Amino acid sequence: MTLMPRSLAGRLIASALIFIALAILATGFAVQVSLHRFVRGQIDQRLDTEILTLRSSFEPGVDGRLVPARGVEAPPFDDPRTGWIWLARSGATTWMSPGLHRNAPLVAVWPAGPHPEAVMARMPDGSLIRARAQQIVVDGQPLELLAAAPPRAEVGPLRDALAPVVVALLLLGAGLVAATLLQVRLGLRPLARLRADLSAVRTGRRERLPARQPVEVRPLAHEVNELLDQHAANLERARRHVANLAHALKTPLAALALSLEDPARDPDHALRGLTLAMDRRIRHHLSRARTAALGPAARMRLPLAARVADHVAAFTKIHAERGITCLAEIEAGLTVACDGQDLDELVGNLLDNAFKWARSTITITAATAGRRVVLRIADDGPGIPNEAVATVLKPGKRLDEETPGDGFGLAIVQELAELYGGGLTLGRSAAGGLLATLDLPGAAEAPGSDQG
Amino acid sequence: MRVLLVEDDATLAEGIARHLRAENFVVDVARNGEDGQHRGDTEALDAVVLDLGLPRKDGIAVLKAWRAAGRAFPVLILTARDGWSDKVDGFKAGADDYLVKPFRVEELVLRLRAMVRRAAGHASARLTCGPLAFDSQLGTFELDGLPLRLTALEWRVLSCLMLRAGHVVERGDLFERVYEGDADVESNSVEVILARLRRKLGVPLIETVRGRGYRLNAPPA
Repeated sequence: MTLMPRSLAGRLIASALIFIALAILATGFAVQVSLHRFVRGQIDQRLDTEILTLRSSFEPGVDGRLVPARGVEAPPFDDPRTGWIWLARSGATTWMSPGLHRNAPLVAVWPAGPHPEAVMARMPDGSLIRARAQQIVVDGQPLELLAAAPPRAEVGPLRDALAPVVVALLLLGAGLVAATLLQVRLGLRPLARLRADLSAVRTGRRERLPARQPVEVRPLAHEVNELLDQHAANLERARRHVANLAHALKTPLAALALSLEDPARDPDHALRGLTLAMDRRIRHHLSRARTAALGPAARMRLPLAARVADHVAAFTKIHAERGITCLAEIEAGLTVACDGQDLDELVGNLLDNAFKWARSTITITAATAGRRVVLRIADDGPGIPNEAVATVLKPGKRLDEETPGDGFGLAIVQELAELYGGGLTLGRSAAGGLLATLDLPGAAEAPGSDQG
Repeated sequence: MRVLLVEDDATLAEGIARHLRAENFVVDVARNGEDGQHRGDTEALDAVVLDLGLPRKDGIAVLKAWRAAGRAFPVLILTARDGWSDKVDGFKAGADDYLVKPFRVEELVLRLRAMVRRAAGHASARLTCGPLAFDSQLGTFELDGLPLRLTALEWRVLSCLMLRAGHVVERGDLFERVYEGDADVESNSVEVILARLRRKLGVPLIETVRGRGYRLNAPPA
């Protein structure tokens, strides 16, 4: 099990390589066997012809015994260097080709039948070779005939015939390996695309995985989409729960605060102070619960301009009496990868602060910076001195004690923005007021990532 | 000024209503969204205080239904939720202001008065009509620079005429803005109040438009 490669591509390629190697070896072996048989057949045919020639050349001599006629020495049996040999024996007399030494005769392993057949023969040097032999009776006298070819007569032609076959098989193997690699790449491409799509979902550039998938991947994509839906539903439930909790706690608290407005019940305002402290704590923990429950997991592609416009309309209505001009210049197609409520918190708190302090004008601009979106909100109010910026961004701190507010609006913005891998920078605007720069993840489609 | 309060929490609704009545508001209370929507659809109102978390029909839906039906009275939403999403959605649905629970009742009174004044088309908090002046934020009347002491019913009638100075206020309309829905009153009681007011003012500012209603007119200078 541990030998199994960890990657799918590795598994596919490894198993394909093993099968290709086995197939090529088997093919090579089969080709070699049949070629060998063919070459041997050719040689045997030639040896049998020689035996036939020998046999027909033996005739009874003057003394009645068999003697070979002249002209038995035909090539290649006449040249000892070729290694082609023959041998004939009748009674105690033995004849042989020049390739055999008279004093060290070839010892044939007999017996053979009346037709030429394969036998093993021992050479003078002790080695065994394949030979063809025949035992017959001519004119009442036994005659044993044998012919043999040297081993190289078999090996040489076989090698010549096998060389191109081996080259062809190696080329075929290489071709199959290349085809396998290509096939694995093509076959696994939907997985790579799925990964890219999933990453797009995570970073908010997509909401779901595309439904159009290869049949094998479709159930997986479907399951992931179901999971995303379930996650969204859980989130919605958690959020509703937090909202219900807020309602359940704050409504009686409001009733309590109201009844304490009667001076007879709370002459020194001590109880009112307590309800305010309770309210502050509830609000703090509810906002923490919301942030903790969400995280940046539920990102969506949100059009920035439309939502900012909703906020501007709301704040302009709230501060209608003050005649503040709020100019928002945001490109219509600009989208951010955020949760909707988080975006509302970010923009709401920043605009709340800007409207609270502005004298006459607020300017909102947004621009993309790579994959990020930078939102700038500038007012012409008193601004925040550099040394006080750190204090403002600490939760629960507020510089002003007169203007009503949570005291942690800007701190919430910073905390949320950091959850999205961005941040809040406070500086001085051109009009001398506060310039809040919010850095958020953009949701522009990466080029080509959605095609397929 | 007649205000509809839509709030499901009995203690809170009662508390708010009591404080608003002490500030001379006529207060109707609805305890769920459907009831609230029906009252808003059928009654003459100067303002609505609308809780968002309501049984049967939530506040945003009620508000959207009113605006879709062309009901233009100013609406202040009460929300327990701190997030901006609710507030912005509230404004998008047609709200004019909001308060987060818990709140101070003085704050609610100030916001309501400002909303009613703005809805009547007055930019400034101080309204004048001849020798009569009305501080719509504080809810006080002055006649020739001296404070005018009025009963709750007189205040309601005069503030209603003052906000619509120069325009006819129909008799039935005036009646609705002075008495609460279930109040058992004589049909000629508004005339009684008007007679007392005319006596207090001394100058003929309130004109009776026969067959229609009443109008507050500045005397020719």
